[in-house]
Amino acid sequence: MAGTVRVLLFASAREAVGSSQLQPKVEPAGIGLTELVERLGLEFPRLRPVLRVSRLVVNGEYIGSKHVTLRAGDEVAIHPPYSGG
Amino acid sequence: MEAVRLTRQSLSIASAYASLADPECGGVVLFAGRVRPDRLQGSSVERLEYEADRPMALRSLNAIEQGAIRRFRLGRVVLWHRTGPIGVGGISVIVGAAAPHRAQAFLGARWMIDRLKQETPIWKSESVRPARPRPRRPSRTRGRSAG
Repeated sequence: MAGTVRVLLFASAREAVGSSQLQPKVEPAGIGLTELVERLGLEFPRLRPVLRVSRLVVNGEYIGSKHVTLRAGDEVAIHPPYSGG
Repeated sequence: MEAVRLTRQSLSIASAYASLADPECGGVVLFAGRVRPDRLQGSSVERLEYEADRPMALRSLNAIEQGAIRRFRLGRVVLWHRTGPIGVGGISVIVGAAAPHRAQAFLGARWMIDRLKQETPIWKSESVRPARPRPRRPSRTRGRSAG
């Protein structure tokens, strides 16, 4: 069954998109993380430079490789470089 | 008070110091990060807005706390970060370390704030007060404006 993944956007990623959350549709077979990131970059050109320097978190875990398949209900957080303190 | 906090409420040095009370610890180091009135292209920072990926930030702060206790044999730790708007002079972060001797307390506090800045998903953005426009000088050719 097709559904959506939840994309959480913080700081400069949120500013680039104008929203703190997106829910792109995915096919039942899922979508590769690389493909999702490319799709977001095409849809939101201002997000592209932010994506290049951001860490990606899938379902609460940092992802080192983009060879991950996302399925409906999964959550991806886009973390631009941190600046706390 | 708990060792790790991520809160919209103001942070108190006195509360942090009280949380570090331990009769076995002769050395207590407290670090506070405050909002500076930095200048950005002629404008000045009025306040900073902090946001966090809360579940991930709490996990990170807890890992830093546990790491510091193990690594530096700290007796007590404080790792508090504020979120939301903070005006100039307000405290955004307090890091505290209590240890039997001063060397571990200094090293532990330094290690924790460095790790927090690198690893904890917290972001700040500036809210600036625009520079005042300079008063216009009257044009010599046209004379003073009416009024």
